[in-house]
Amino acid sequence: MLSAQERAHIAQVWDLIAGHEALFGAELLRRLFTVYPSTKVYFRHLGDHPDEVQLLNHGQRVLQAVGVAVQYMDNLRAVLSPLADLHAQVLRVDPSNFPLVIQCFQVVLASHLQGEFTVEMQAAWDKFLTGIAVVLTEKYR
Amino acid sequence: MVHFTAEEKATITGLWAKVNVEEAGGEALGRLLIVYPWTQRFFDSFGNLYSESAIMGNPKVKAHGRKVLNSFGDAIKHMDDLKGTFADLSELHCDKLHVDPENFRLLGNVLVVVLARRFGGEFTPELQASFQKVVTGVANALAHRYH
Repeated sequence: MLSAQERAHIAQVWDLIAGHEALFGAELLRRLFTVYPSTKVYFRHLGDHPDEVQLLNHGQRVLQAVGVAVQYMDNLRAVLSPLADLHAQVLRVDPSNFPLVIQCFQVVLASHLQGEFTVEMQAAWDKFLTGIAVVLTEKYR
Repeated sequence: MVHFTAEEKATITGLWAKVNVEEAGGEALGRLLIVYPWTQRFFDSFGNLYSESAIMGNPKVKAHGRKVLNSFGDAIKHMDDLKGTFADLSELHCDKLHVDPENFRLLGNVLVVVLARRFGGEFTPELQASFQKVVTGVANALAHRYH
C-alpha cells in the first residue's frame, strides 16, 4: 500500500523521466549488465555485446512499462497481468534478479537527480519497484 | 575471495579520495534507516528516529555513520585482505551486536546509491561495478566469523 506522499514522490520523479524512457532505460540496462554480468543470460537476443541502439530500444520498453505502472500504481496486479504472464511462462527470470535491477534503477535516479534525490524519493521508489517485482513474479507457481 | 585488478583499485581509491567521509556516512546510515525501517531495530539507544528529518539530523546517526564509513576507508586500503581486516568487527557484529548480515548488504547498496548521488555522471557503470564489489567484499568479510 502506497501512502499519498509516496505516490506524490513517485509521480514527481517520473515527471523527470517521462519523455526520456529510452535514455534512462539504456543506462539502466548498461549498469545492470556491467555490474551484474550474470543478468545478461536473460538477454541473449541482444547478443554478447549489445550496442547502443539495442539498449535504447529495449530500455525504452522496460521504462515504458514502468511508466504504465506509475499511471496505475493503485492497480498494479491488473495492469501488469500480461507482463506477469510473460515472466512466468516465457522469461522465467529468477526472482533474485529483481533486487539487482532495483539497485541499478536507484543508482540511475541518484546519479541524475543528485541534490534533488531526497531520501523520501529513494524510499518511495524502492517500495514501488519492489511492488512491481512482486507482481511480475507472483504467477511463477 | 574477491579480487581487484590494479585498475579497479586505482579508480576506487581515486574516487574515495573525493568522498566527504564526514557527511556521506551519516547520509548512508540515515537513508538505510528510512528506506528499510526495520533496520532501526539495532538503534534503540539513538533517541529520536520518528521522522525522516529526525533521522537525517540525528547526531548519533551522523556519528555512527562516520565511524562506519571510516571502516570502509580501511577496507579500501586493504582490498586484498578484507577478511583479515574485518575479522574483529565480524566477531563483534555476531557475538555482541547480533546483526543479521543481510543488513551489511543493504547498507552497502545504500552507500553505492549515495556515491551515485554525490558524483553524478562521474559514477560510471564501471565505477559502480567496482564499488559494488567493494561493498560485497566488506559484507562477506563482516559475515565471515559468524558462528
